[in-house]
This record gives sequence, structure tokens and C-alpha cells, in this order.
Amino acid sequence: MAVSRADIVDRQFIDTLSALEPARGAPRPDLDAPVRSGSTISARAAIGLFETMVSSRLLDFEARALKATGQSFYTIGSSGHEANAAVAWATRPTDPAFLHYRSGAFFVGRARQVPGTTPLLDILLGMVASADEPIAGGRHKVFGSLPLHIPPQTSTIASHLPKAVGAAFTLARQRRLGLDGTVPADSVVVCSFGDASSNHSTACGAFNTAALADHQNLPCPVLFVCEDNGLGISVRTPHGWVAARFQNDPGIKYFGADGLDAVDAMAVAQQAVDFVRSTRRPALLHIRLVRLLGHAGSDVEQLYRTTAEIEATEARDPVLAMAVQLVREGWLTPAQVLALYEETRARVHALGQEAIRRPKLTTAAEVMAPLAPFDAPAVLEEARRAPDPEARERFWAGRLPEADRPRHMAMLLNRCLGDLLVKYDNTLIFGEDVARKGGVYHVTADLQKKAGVGRVFNTPLDETAILGLAIGAGQLGMLPLPEIQYLAYLHNAIDQLRGEAASLSYFSNGQYRNPMVVRIASLAYQKGFGGHFHNDNSIGALREIPGLIMGCPSNGHDAVGMLRTLVAAAQIHGQVGVFLEPIARYMTKDLHAPKDGLWSHAYPPLDFALPLGEVGVYDATDEDQLTVVTYGNGVWMTLRVAARLRAEGLRVRTVDLRWLQPLPVEAMVAQAQATGRVLVVDECRRTGGVAEGVMAALAERCPGVPLTRVAGDDCFIPLGAAANLVLVQEDDIEASIRAALAGDDA
Amino acid sequence: MSRLRALFLCPGRGSYRRAQLGSLAGPSPAVDAMEAVRAARGMPSLRALDGAERFSPSRHLAGEHASLLTAACTWVDYERLDPEKVDVVAVAGNSMGWYTALGVAGALDLPSMALLIDTMGGYQQGHLVGGQLVVPLTGPDWRPDPERAARVQQVVDDTPDLYWSIHLGGQAVLAGTRVALDAALERLPSETRGAVTYPLVLPLHSAFHTPLLHGTAGTARTELAHLPWGAPAVPLVDGTGRSWRPFTAAPTGIAAWTLGDQVTAPFDFTAMVRAALGEYGPDVVVLPGPGEGLGGAVAQVMIEMGWRGLRCRDDFMAVQKSGAGPLISMCRPDQAARVSLR
Repeated sequence: MAVSRADIVDRQFIDTLSALEPARGAPRPDLDAPVRSGSTISARAAIGLFETMVSSRLLDFEARALKATGQSFYTIGSSGHEANAAVAWATRPTDPAFLHYRSGAFFVGRARQVPGTTPLLDILLGMVASADEPIAGGRHKVFGSLPLHIPPQTSTIASHLPKAVGAAFTLARQRRLGLDGTVPADSVVVCSFGDASSNHSTACGAFNTAALADHQNLPCPVLFVCEDNGLGISVRTPHGWVAARFQNDPGIKYFGADGLDAVDAMAVAQQAVDFVRSTRRPALLHIRLVRLLGHAGSDVEQLYRTTAEIEATEARDPVLAMAVQLVREGWLTPAQVLALYEETRARVHALGQEAIRRPKLTTAAEVMAPLAPFDAPAVLEEARRAPDPEARERFWAGRLPEADRPRHMAMLLNRCLGDLLVKYDNTLIFGEDVARKGGVYHVTADLQKKAGVGRVFNTPLDETAILGLAIGAGQLGMLPLPEIQYLAYLHNAIDQLRGEAASLSYFSNGQYRNPMVVRIASLAYQKGFGGHFHNDNSIGALREIPGLIMGCPSNGHDAVGMLRTLVAAAQIHGQVGVFLEPIARYMTKDLHAPKDGLWSHAYPPLDFALPLGEVGVYDATDEDQLTVVTYGNGVWMTLRVAARLRAEGLRVRTVDLRWLQPLPVEAMVAQAQATGRVLVVDECRRTGGVAEGVMAALAERCPGVPLTRVAGDDCFIPLGAAANLVLVQEDDIEASIRAALAGDDA
Repeated sequence: MSRLRALFLCPGRGSYRRAQLGSLAGPSPAVDAMEAVRAARGMPSLRALDGAERFSPSRHLAGEHASLLTAACTWVDYERLDPEKVDVVAVAGNSMGWYTALGVAGALDLPSMALLIDTMGGYQQGHLVGGQLVVPLTGPDWRPDPERAARVQQVVDDTPDLYWSIHLGGQAVLAGTRVALDAALERLPSETRGAVTYPLVLPLHSAFHTPLLHGTAGTARTELAHLPWGAPAVPLVDGTGRSWRPFTAAPTGIAAWTLGDQVTAPFDFTAMVRAALGEYGPDVVVLPGPGEGLGGAVAQVMIEMGWRGLRCRDDFMAVQKSGAGPLISMCRPDQAARVSLR
């Protein structure tokens, strides 16, 4: 039978303490004295920290015991990392803390500062995936808590660093804008991670963003905490790398602490926290520690480390070291330490038994409930709520958008965004070039001038940083409207949406939200210019993110109504929304012929909004022979083709999906049944494109209705006229319509 | 068989009733110690009060007598615990029971605890400040009822000088001036459950745990500053849900809360029991005398947090009937036998 390292570490603690003699005069009564000569830490604080460390350690043991009986589903532990409790001790429970997965001691330590919390039971409920677990409700084992200001994090490596920086930036920005946040204005943001993940490009981007902010004298009170155990699962971090990497980082102040001496960790953590709180500048606390009990319960450490190496690490057990120190200094007797240890073991075990009695999630509906709750009437009401008239008058300097002549989409979106800045004082618009330049397509033109540099501003050229800021800002009570300059640029940062923003409500059982609407200049048809990276038409990666809402307008009128709805959903539900703005239609004014002005629209009334799930239907008559289901550029092209075919007596109804995620299935079905025949026009790729979802839904719901499609090729978009070879063209649509109708005749 | 891990939960004033007469008849070193304090203060003997032929509400319910009578009954039950059967892993107390808990856990020695209780109770003699009333927050099934709770909260919000006094599981104890209580009584719906009609006005109680008691708290801090406060020998969970632990509790902190916010801010029994259960994982809550008036409130907290999977009153009653229930009322011989010497 394999040797249990947990048992060995446990036995080592007991045997070592049992062999110790009490110090003379122990236990000393003067608990407010320094724990050791020259220390700034009191004995009382040190003993409190030790109790927290012991709790965390015994939770790890209990996790493994529960797993052995098939009751626990999570054994990644915090053993060896217990000194991270020092960071909890040095911070306030209102300091937002974005924690990595070895943060058991931090979590328990912070909970100790908030009366009425039950961290041991809560952690155990997470391990056994009980629906009673207070943050994720059995959906994952995460460290998270609303009253402790610990938003839950997933296990994706370093993906929580950008939003921590975003939250820190937001703290300062809220103060500048005179807005109340969800935490005190002098809070610091804590963000912990391991040595291995400090190498991740996402982490490096976050360090860079914080340093860049500092370089520009922008406050960014974030404390990065690198818990350096020297290993990334089996891969060693080269000796000295973390210190070498960060000691001379411009803009991020370095603090080094010995996590094997928790008293030292407390003192240094206090210094680091004081620095960040008082200067509002970023810092990195490098805690050198060890990893005990392997990466996880399933990790066989002996495959990549020698027994001697493992034993040498175990000999440096920080919990044991703290116990020995407290005994040698005379604060506790060995018997007291052992009594505390065994009492904690009994408590944790009893609570483990309680945890396994608690209910599990039992239905898919229960599991999915917090993904994205949506109260459609409430969202619509909010979307139709007009901004304050006087504030509008001031913002637009008397030149109200509705008084203007019909305009193209880019202009109407600009005005819609302006009205949103008026309507919500917590709205932020940011991205590359959105400020003075007003965006590549002028959608944000003059908004910075009107709303101020605090609310409309440029970001570094880093989409991960942009979305991280959106998440952090949203969590602290802002309503961010980030812009991604081109769809192709989203893909390097999409984990911030996929793994982070969209999952937060789910992993917090609806308790934490990061509202946002991500505007993305998207899709192709730019007359040969730009090549793939400015014509990207791949949206498969967005279509299947659970809980995400995605809209794609075909014209300016709809764009305003849809954007209002997305922002209202963000405001009411904390919804994460994506708005794909078709670049090729930004400046389109005409539809069938030059100067016809049919694709220009008056600014819609302030009480106008398009509800989620509502489609646009063009040219519907009782004699329609075919329903063309499309969206974005496809609407414009199809309407042009349909008009030409109407001259031949062919009756085609065009349906604009508007909403691509979730698909407006009920409306699609009604329109399909109205003509009994469907062609899907999808400007995106055949594989993973919208047509796949539309046709699958219609095949299931309308069996017998013939379905055909025309879609973009599975290809990157080339430069020049060759682009048209792989994109759906009007001729393709016409041919497909004729074929669909001919099929009926045959 | 392993010992039962227990939370020892001391009841507050208001639990000593007619049925409790005679509770102190047996020998008890703790009661002897309390009697000595009573004698030194020139107060009537507890045993004499307890041995009275007839229960006199005006006498037995008066703060200057009921407080230490309550603590004495609790201690008698504490002395009955069999260390072979039970391991007290945490101690807590409701309202005045907090003072008793300080003694049980060892944060105060017995005479000091008795002096604290008798002094605080004595402040009420002829000086009632406002009053308290009780109103249910749950339905008869003891499941949380947010709408009902919201209605009660609305009354508190709307009524000047009316405060939350105790968050008591499925019940709200509200307190305030007489005028405020009268106004609240007009708005709170009347409801009869068993033999009790709510809202229930507690006789001879002041508006404990509200700002109306600031004066009392100040006097207490002056007169009781000399008490030899210490760290508890067993974890103590207070009326905010905070733990005071043996190796880290600051005696000055315990004293400050006991004679400060404990007197003038809402007492959160619900948070206290929830934290005690969720942090110490006791097998049972031992509810000593007098009576078992807190039993329902304990069960309601268990139901609210899903303790042992309990979701309603019927669940609780069923598990209690099984003989392995999570609540042991020392006044019920069959339950007491699980933890007591006789």
C-alpha cells in the first residue's frame, strides 16, 4: 500500500511536539507582547494565525479522508502554503481578494475577522459538492464568499489577475468620479497565484498593466501575492527566478517574505499591505514556501521527486515550524499545542460528517439556474427608461440626436452610447483608440469630450487587460462598455469572457455579477481591405458560452434598440453581453440604389428598445414562398436580392435574427412555418457558424420544413478581391433562393 | 462509545417560570457560591425564592431575582453533565445567558459571574426602561418566511424608538419605548400558536440590547470594571457569532463587548447558534434549564442552515423522537440521560 504523505506529515507534527519540553514559565500570560524579540507581531496575533494554519492543514487531511470513502471530489490542498493566512491577517475583510486554489488558510483567516462566519463547514461543503455550499452551491470547490469579499475563482491559471488589476484601477476611478463603490475607497485588491502561473502570459499582461498604470501615475492599489513553492505540478521553477523576475520590476514594488516562518510572513505582509494602501501603488509580495502532500490527492509525487527530496520538503513544514516557535518562546506548552491540534481535528472531522449529510444538486435545472437569470419585462422596462432630460440637454449641448436627419449605424451608435453615459453615471467606455480618435470607425467620437477622460478612455493594446478591467469594474459596481477593436483581436483574450466573466454568476450561485456589454467591430465585406484580421467572421467560440447574450444588428435603428436592451440586462441582472457591430454596415446609408437612403435611420425614440428574442421581419406577405433567415450583413444583401426577385414574382420573406445567442428559436419557428421553406444565409463559417444552430433548432422543431443554407467557407479571409471568393455573395444568395424554390417545384 | 461533542447553550432571563420552582432543591456547589454573592449584596436567597410554595410573577420574574435564578438552574444542569458521556466543545448563551456562559466557559469565576448577573439584573429593580415583545418570523412549519420577516422589518423601520433586540431564530424580539411598543402592537398581526398569542409582550423586561440601555451599560462599565475577566477555557461564541478562544481571547475585549454592544446593540442569537454549529460541529446542543423555551429557536436556526439536513419542523420533531436528535433539553429526562450522570 502506498505511503500516505498526509499521514507522515501528521505523524511528524505529533511526534515532534510530543518530544518537546515546555519552555520555562510557559505558558506566558503577556499575550500582547512581541511573539519574539524584535518582532512587531504580538503573541496573541501569532497564536491566532497558528490556529488558522492548523485549521487549514486539517481540512486538507479531512479532504483526503473523505475522498478515500468516495465522499469528497476535491483534494488540491493548501498544505505548505498556510502562511498565506498572514496576508488575510494584514488585510481587511472588505479588501477584495482574488485567490488561487491553495488559499485555505487565507480563507479561514479572513473569516476569523468576520463574526458569524463558518469557514470550516463552508470549505467542507465545497469539497463534497453540496448544494448547501454558500458560494458555488455545489458547482465547484472554490474559495469565495460575499461577506468576505472573496469573489470565487476558477482554476484556469492566472486568469484572475487581469480582473484584479481592473478592480484596483476601478477603486481609484470610482473615487475620482465621486461614485460610491461596493467597498471602502481606501481598499486594496489582493490577488494570489503560484510561482508557475506567474509565467503565464495572462499574468505577465496583468503585471504589465499595473506597472503601466503606475508609470502614468494612475493609482492601482493591487497587491500581487506570489506563493512560490518552487513547483508547477511536476515542473520546477528555476531557483531564484521569481525574485529575479520581480525584484527590479519598474512600477511594482517587491516584498520578499519567508513563508516557512509565518511570523516573518505576517510582518512583511503588513508592510506590503501598508505600502499599497497608503501609496495606492501596486506591489508584489513574494512568499517563499513549500508544497506538501503533492499537487493534489491524485498526484503521485514520487514519479518526479526522490523520496529524499519529498522528505526534505516535509521537514520544512511551516505549521510545525510555527508550533515549535510558539513553544520555544513559551507562549504555548507542547501539550496545549497538541490539544489544540486534536481539538481542531475533531471539529473538522465532525463538520466533514455534517457536510456529507447535506444535499447535492439533483437536477440540470438546479445546476443551470444561476447561469443567466433573465426577467424579460423588467429588462425591457429598464431599456425603455429615458435618461434625465436636463442632463441630456447639457450632454448634447442642445443638439439632441432625435432632431438630426436620418444617419448611418456608426452615428446612431455614437448617440446611443452618449445617452447611456447620461443615463448611468457608472458607465465606462474604454478600449484602444476610443478616446480622442473616437474609435477606428468613429463610433465613440467626441464622447470623451462630452463625458470626461475619467469615463471614456484609452487602454493599453491588450484585449485581456481590457476585458479584465471590465470584469473588475463590473464587480465593483460599474457598468462597463469595453470596445474590442476587431473580432480577430478578441480571440487572444476570449478566456476572460469564457472562463471568467460568463462563469462568475454560475460559480457564485448568482451572488457575484460582472455586468458588461462588449462592443466588437466585427465581420467582413470591407471591399478587399484589411485581410483576415479586420474581416474575421469566426464567432463559434462565442456562440456556445453558457449564459452569454450576443446580438448582431443589421442597421442603425436596430443597433440602438438592441444596445439599450443589452445594457439594461447588464444593469438589472449583471448580464454579460456581446454586441457584434458589422463594420461593413457602419457607414452604409443606402440599400437598393445610391442615394436611396434606405439604410439611414432617424435616432429612435428614447422609449424604444428591441427585446431579446424578437426578430426583424421584412417584406412579409401571405404569399411568401420562402423564409430567409439571416443576420448582420446577410440582411442587407438578402433584401437587395429579394427585391430583384420580386420583379420576377418570387416572394421571399427576410428574417433578421438580431440575437445570435441565445437564438430566438420561437420566432424562427413561427417564421419558418409561415412559408414552409427556409434558407439560412450565414456570413460566418460553415463550421461553427450561426446556420448550424438555426438549422438544428428548426430541424428539431419544424420537421418537414425543407432547410438549406448558404454560408462562408471554412477559411481565413484573404486580402483583395479574393475575399469575395470565400464569403457569401449576393449571387450566392440569389442562386440559393432559386434552388430552394426550384426544389419545391420538382 | 465516544463522547458526544456538545454546544452548551445557556438560556436567558424569562425561562424561569412556575414549573421551575424547586429546581435548586438539590446540593450544588455552584448555587452555594451564588448564594454567597446574594447574601453579600443583601439580596434574598435563591433557594428560598426557588422553594416558595407559590410562584409570584411580580417577584420571580423581576430582574433582580429572575436573572440569577435562571443562571442557578443552568449551573445545576451543568453540574449534572457526565464527562464520560459529553465533551463540551463550545459554550454560548442567549441575552442574559451570555453572562452565565462566561462563567461556564471560565472567562469569569463563579462569584464574579454571579456578581455580574445580579448587578445587571438589579439595575432593573424599579427602573424598567421600555420593554420587549416577541413576534414570529417563520410559519408554523418553522421554515424561513422572507415575506413575514420583511413585514416585521418594515414595522421596525417605520416606528420611532423601536429596535431589533434579539434575532432569535424564527422569532424576532423587538424592543423600544412603551410608546413604540404600543405602536408596533397595533401594526403587528395577532397570531396564536399553541398556548401562546403573538405578539407576546415580555413582562418586567427592559428594552435590552438597544440604544435605550446606554445608561445602564455605562453604569455597568463603572461598577464592574474590577471583575477579573480572563480568557475562557472552552471556546465561547457571543451574540454576534464571534468566537472567543482559549489561547487568543483578549479579556479586555470580552469585557468591552459584554458591557458595551452586548447591552446596547441587537443580540444575534441566530448568528451565534449558526456559527457555533458551523465552526465546532457539535453532535448535540445541550439546552440546560430553566425550562426549554429556547428549543424552538435552536431548531429554527438548524432548519434555516440545513443542519443535519433538517428542512422543517416535522424533520426536527422526527429526529428528536428517534432518540438521536441534535437537541438535548436537560428538563427532559430521556434526553438528559444521553449526557448526564443520572
